[in-house]
Amino acid sequence: MNEPTDKATNDPRKDAQFADEAKQLFDDSVDSLDAATLSRLNQGRHRALAELSSTRTRGQWLGWIPAAGVAVAVLVTVMIMRGPNGVDIPIESVTTTDFEILLDEDSLEMLEDLEFYSWLESVDLDANGNVG
Amino acid sequence: MNTCAGVFAVSCTREPSTRAETLQRERQLNQFLAEVERRALRIAEIGIRDRDEALDLVQDAMIKLVRNYGSRSQQEWAPLFYRILQNGVRDWHRRQKVRNRVMVWFGRASSADEEYDVIAQAPDPEGRTPDEELQTEEAMQRLELAVHALPTRQREAFMLRSFEGLDVAGTAVAMGCSEGSVKTHYSRAVHTLREKLGDHWQ
Repeated sequence: MNEPTDKATNDPRKDAQFADEAKQLFDDSVDSLDAATLSRLNQGRHRALAELSSTRTRGQWLGWIPAAGVAVAVLVTVMIMRGPNGVDIPIESVTTTDFEILLDEDSLEMLEDLEFYSWLESVDLDANGNVG
Repeated sequence: MNTCAGVFAVSCTREPSTRAETLQRERQLNQFLAEVERRALRIAEIGIRDRDEALDLVQDAMIKLVRNYGSRSQQEWAPLFYRILQNGVRDWHRRQKVRNRVMVWFGRASSADEEYDVIAQAPDPEGRTPDEELQTEEAMQRLELAVHALPTRQREAFMLRSFEGLDVAGTAVAMGCSEGSVKTHYSRAVHTLREKLGDHWQ
């Protein structure tokens, strides 16, 4: 082996030769990797490739999300429209009537006197409207 | 009825073709990773001088490549893979610096170089006389130490160009810099190594 030169000359041919020798040594060291290391590399590669299938599966599920969302929305709407015992509730009763009750000023007053109306329902009244 | 049958037929024919494409991509990725993994390990190992850590970094790089860039064209895989790996090596060095700073605080500074047993980690040679084997090992050790001592960017340029055989454009992608910078770093690296090791150092 020659002693290291103090100053390497700027010679492209020698640079290329040096790089070739270095590459040869490097390749030898790669070819001589032990079996345990090669096995770990192999395991790592398969773990990485498993990622591809999990990404694919995840992608498939993600693709179903909009369709599932629409299906759930339709189902909920149908259940609301049909009521709890499968009886069709008139659309008016869900929409117009409820809105009328909510917007009617009297209904708000009724809510304020809710206690009174509950009591009134529980007692018997005679023909003149007196408590019996 | 006919429309439904048509839709069904389309969906049935598209599904297997997608599956076939995915399987083919998986085969191509497997082949690429199998070709590159051993050199990648040695490159990472020279960068950080710890085989176990280098194995982890290579595995992380493989997973990230498959997850994020598996759908890219095959020509892009090598530069992208080495970019991920080089980032991993740089992050590892950053973490080591922080760890060493903390350890200094507790009076237990350690260095990966001190723990690294070059003889124990030396490759298992085959088919050579003990003298040749020893000479090659020693030459590789000298080369490894000299490459490891290079500034980071020079080391990356030298290993990617010489060891991995990436072209200037691919190395630029892997290093995240211009092609001009790659040429400068590579030229300086070779010059420094020749100065340190001599022209006939084997």
